[in-house]
This record gives sequence, structure tokens and C-alpha cells, in this order.
Amino acid sequence: MIIPLGALSTLFAEAAPAAALPPGLGITALQLNAGAIAPESAILIALLVCLLVDLAGEEAASRWVPPICYAGLGTALVLLALQWNAPVEPSFLGSFLADNLAVAFRAVVAASTLLSLLISWRYVEQSGTPVGEYAAILLAATLGAMFLCGATDLVSIFVALETLSVSSYLLSGYMKRDARSGEAALKYLLVGSAAAAVFLYGASLLYGLTGGSTGLEAVGLALQTSATPVTALALVFVLATVAFKIAAVPFHQWTPDVYEGSPTPVVAFLSVGSKTAGFALALRLLVGCFESFDAQWKVLFTVLAVLSMTLGNVVALAQTSMKRMLAYSSIGQAGFVMIGLVCGTEEGFAAMVLYMAAYLFMNLGAFACIILFSLRTGSDRISDYAGLYQKDPLITLGLSLCLLSLGGIPPMLGFFGKIYLFFAGWADHQYLLVVVGLITSVVSIYYYISVIKMMVVKEPQEASDVVKAYPPITWNLTGMQPLRAALVACVLITAVGGVLSNPLFNWANGAVAGTPMLQQAIASGALSSAVG
Amino acid sequence: MTIASWTQWICFVALSAGVVIGSLGVVLLPNIVYSAFLLGGVFLSVAGLYLMLNASFVAAAQVLVYVGAVNVLILFAIMLVNKKETLAEIPGLPLRRLLSGGVCAGLFLLLLRVDVTTPWAVPGPSPVGNDATIRIGIHLFSDYLLPFELASVLLLMAMIGAIVLARRDVFTVDVITGEDVDQALIEKMRTPLLVETTPTQNPALEATR
Repeated sequence: MIIPLGALSTLFAEAAPAAALPPGLGITALQLNAGAIAPESAILIALLVCLLVDLAGEEAASRWVPPICYAGLGTALVLLALQWNAPVEPSFLGSFLADNLAVAFRAVVAASTLLSLLISWRYVEQSGTPVGEYAAILLAATLGAMFLCGATDLVSIFVALETLSVSSYLLSGYMKRDARSGEAALKYLLVGSAAAAVFLYGASLLYGLTGGSTGLEAVGLALQTSATPVTALALVFVLATVAFKIAAVPFHQWTPDVYEGSPTPVVAFLSVGSKTAGFALALRLLVGCFESFDAQWKVLFTVLAVLSMTLGNVVALAQTSMKRMLAYSSIGQAGFVMIGLVCGTEEGFAAMVLYMAAYLFMNLGAFACIILFSLRTGSDRISDYAGLYQKDPLITLGLSLCLLSLGGIPPMLGFFGKIYLFFAGWADHQYLLVVVGLITSVVSIYYYISVIKMMVVKEPQEASDVVKAYPPITWNLTGMQPLRAALVACVLITAVGGVLSNPLFNWANGAVAGTPMLQQAIASGALSSAVG
Repeated sequence: MTIASWTQWICFVALSAGVVIGSLGVVLLPNIVYSAFLLGGVFLSVAGLYLMLNASFVAAAQVLVYVGAVNVLILFAIMLVNKKETLAEIPGLPLRRLLSGGVCAGLFLLLLRVDVTTPWAVPGPSPVGNDATIRIGIHLFSDYLLPFELASVLLLMAMIGAIVLARRDVFTVDVITGEDVDQALIEKMRTPLLVETTPTQNPALEATR
């Protein structure tokens, strides 16, 4: 027997003066519907095993931790595939919901962790930091992000958010002998704690409005009937947290410094996994709860999207460091995804999901290339890439394809993702957003192409000193083979996935179609537009 | 008055006196260590007030979190930066004290006014008193089971992260290649590109002089 959330909360409300639950009420795993978090359990087991293996010393850890992580994340991805299109039932008495949206976003998060881990082993070894703890903390961040994608209760959301954030702070400060890493961690910690406090304040206001329930369903019901200033305040607080997590302008100030100071594989995870979780949170809170404040939050998000696209792409033009450039470019990319969120139509949501999946492969492919380059040369300056095609064709080809895809050049995967987003925006009459998106896309193509020009067009004598002293290409060190595999896989999917993108389209549409919350929002949006 | 109510009254007066005198001491005493210890006393007195209001869980949390964690942290911070230092005399100190005292008194009057004018007897669910702990426990193991379990992962990770950041043993070599490592970012901070331009800049600098 599964107790629905509503019934349980009324049970608590009615029984308030006396003891809350009858003492004999045993809760079994079946009632909890605990199978919904089976993928997370696989990751948790991998995390614990990593920590135990790490006790055997650094050599054992560097030998055994990678396969353990692959096993955990692979199992999680298989279990997620099994959850696809399963009947949607709330689990943990309303704390978690494994609808198709949650499954899709959790899969993106788990895949981003898997790829980030594949590209990070050599980086971590070469910097001399412990591998076991690194993998464990990254898996904990994944755990937080995955729970955040499916959490349907304010308390669960907060704890998941904190798990993700605390692990992210630790990871960005992981190179502890480097002042830049310390600076990144401290900045991230301070700004992130402020954002968490703001979210907590907003959540407490929402809790007060419901009159004693933290479930998102109850919050949505309470918000439909109340239009007090408190609600607007709660909306602003919640929106600020979401904007911080997805690094939307003007809540982006932490991004460049954190991205520059963090270890590069961590940046790869933060720019994809953490951002995906942020968008899932945005969908759950804004589309799911603040439905009656549709117009207000859409205006605010339009402003955020326009600012993000403009500032992210324009400031990226002036960057000399590859990591900083990708940081600003990720701010711009988040702006593009927000177009789909503002639309609120079936196509808009599907385009969001599709673009997040496309962004996963193209961005991680680009990061794999710049990690490989910095492993070989110890540099991430754009000017040091000059003339690289002579010495390292693989990096040149992979980085070129991924950057072209990020810029939205056909026939890459990114082009189809972007065209779908713009199409959805245009169909929903978001002309301002689409026009700004198109213009800033052109700007972004300029700075992506200038990197490619730096690598390809320069003559051998114009090559940078770093490239002139390029080491011979070897793949025999531990950790280089996974890096190569991840690089080739990402680049292949980015290059070929655009032409063969039909399964991805179907997957994205299925994610929206199998999510009752989104269907409800789409239906009410269509109704209001028909009335208006 | 019965003995019970007398006892309650005496306890209330003692605890309130503890809070008021303690917090005055926190603000007014010149020695920061005394202030920190008095702050612990204030927290304990507040916990006692919670106990008198039948909120035993809040009282226990107050002792654990504020006295056990926050106050100990403050004392650690004081111990770590315990440096003898003669501070420069601040000009116009009496006037500043008068001003800040005035602001505080104004805030206090505002609070008093809210206290007197607000009708406190609002209808609502009656407090469950000491059953609250049981209620919280039931919630933690039924509808808040997931966040409760996830919090254990969070705490585990925070602990491991703190150990990783704080421990002193450092690998000096790469375990695979045996090369020297420095636990810093692979992307080094470099300025060698400026080296060859420096000689060309010098004549220009001298020309401007």
C-alpha cells in the first residue's frame, strides 16, 4: 500500500493534538517505493567501496578506484534506463518522484560524472592529490545532484542542494597547495552559503504559506490561493538560488574565478552536472509550484536569459585563458537553455532536455581536449595553442569540432539543439529572446573560431614556444587511455550525433511526455493562451 | 501560589537574569575571552528558558549546536589569533558609545511596542509540549526519511573533505611516473612570455624618463 502525500499530510494535520501516527504503523520498503532511488544506491555503494579501497594505500587506490566508479555509474545508468516510462509513483512518502524528467536529468548528471572521471585520473595523479577521496567526493556531488533532480519536498531539495554544494566547494579547493584553488574554494563557499541561506529563507516562507507542509504539491496549492507580498518575496528568493546554481547573470560573479581556480575535470563536472541539476530544480520549483505566478517569473527569467546570453558571450571575447573563456561561454549557454524554460511549451521543455544532453557531450569533449593539452604542456592560455595542428592533430580536430558545435555550426549536434530551442522560442512568440540568442550566437562563433584559427591557421614558425617544445605523444601512462576514450566518444557523438539526432529528439520528447507535472503546466499554459 | 509555581518563577527570574547580565557582559567587558565564555552562559540560559516552555528538543538542539559547536568555534578562533596588540585610542569614544547606546535603546523600545500591541493569543494548533521530540522522531523516520539519510552522506563527505584539506601528508611524487608533484593545478601560472619583451621595453622606459 502506498500512502499518497496528500493523505499523509492530512493524517498529520488531523492527528495534530494527539500522537501523530498510530504506533503500529510499520513502513516497509514497498510503501516507500524505495526502488526509485536504486540508481543512487548504486552510486552510494561505489562511493563507500572507493573509500574502503583507499585505505589500502595510494597505489591500490589508483589501480582499483577507476573500475569501481565505472561499475557504480554504469549500474546507475542501466537502472535509470529501466526506470524510463515506468508508472510514476511518489516514493519516500512524497520526498522523491522518479518521473521521466527526473530520469532524463539524472542520466545526464550520471553521464557527466562518468565522463569527468574518465578525463580526470591522469590529471589527479599528475598533480599528486589522493585519487580515492577525489572520486568519493565527486560521487557524493553526483549523488546530491541526482537527488536534486527528483526531489519533491523542500527539505529534500535543501539537503540535496547542500550535498552537491559542499562537495563542489571541496572539489574546487582540491589542489590545496595552489593559491588559485584555495581562492576558488573560498569564493565558492562564501557565495554558495549565502545562496543556500537565501533559499532556506524562501523555503521557510513557502512552508509558512502551506500551513505546515513541505511537499511541493502542497506548496503549489497554497500558492494558487495566496497573492500576498510574502509570495513575491519567496519567489524572488527561490529564483535567486536557482539563478546562482545555473550561473545566470547577475548571479554569475563566482563562475569565472571558480572555473579558473578549480581542477579542470572538476570544472567539466560543474559546468554540466551541477548546471543540469540547477535546471531540474528550476523546472520543479518554478514550473511545478509557481504556476500561478507564471507571468512574473517568466519576465524575470527573460531578463536573466537576455543578460546571460549577452554578457556571457561578449565577455568571453576578451579572455586569454581557455578555462575562463569556457566559463563565460557556459554562462552564455545557460542563457540559451533558459529560452526553453521561459517558453513553457512542450517544444520548449523538450528543447531544454535535448540541449542539456547535447551540451554534455560537446562541452565535456572540449574539456577533454584542454585537459589533454594542459597535461602535456602545463598551460591553458589560448595563445599557447598556436600551430598545434602540426604536433597534435587529435586535440586540434576534437577541440575544433566541439567548439564549432558549441557555437552552433551545422551539422554538429549543437546546431540541432540550438535550432530546436530557437524554433520553440519563436513558436511561443519570444521574439526578443530568439533575436538576442541569434545575435549572441554569432558573437560566440567569433570567439570559438578564433581559437580554431589559432590552432590551425598559424604557420609552423609562428607556433607558440609551448607547441614548439611539445612532448612526443604517448598514451601508455595509467589514466591516459580512459582520457582518450572519453575524448573520442564525446567528439564522435558531437560530430555524428547531429545527423543521427532522431533518437535524441524522441528521448527528449519522451522525457516531457512522461512527466505529469510538465504536462499539467503545458495544458494550463495552452488554456490561458487560448483564453487570452 | 503553590510551590510549583514559585519554583517556576524563581527559575524564570534566574534564567532571565543570566541572559540579561550575560549579554551585557558580552558587549561591555574589554577581555574577549570573558565575552566568549559569557556568550556560552547566555546560550545555556536560553536553553533553560526553552526547557521551561516544554520545548525540550529545541533546548537540547540549542545546547548541542550553540554551546557545543558555535561557541567552541569562537573560542578556538580567539585562541588561534591570540596576539597581544595595543589598539590605537579611538577618538570621540564617549560620543560613539552614547550614539550606539541610543540606537540600541530605540530598537529595544520598538520591540517593546510590538510586544505590547500584538495580540499574542492567536488561534492555532495547540503545542504538543514534550511530545514534540517523539513527533520529530516519527517525521524523521517516515516522510523525512530520504533527507535524513541523505544528510548522513553530506556529513560523511564534509568530514572526509575536511580531513583531505587539513592533513599534512603530501605525496611528493606521482605514484605512477615517479615524477615530482606539488599538489597544484596542472595549468601553471607563468610569465615567461614577458621575458623576451623586457629588454625591448627598457629603452622605451628610459626614453620616457
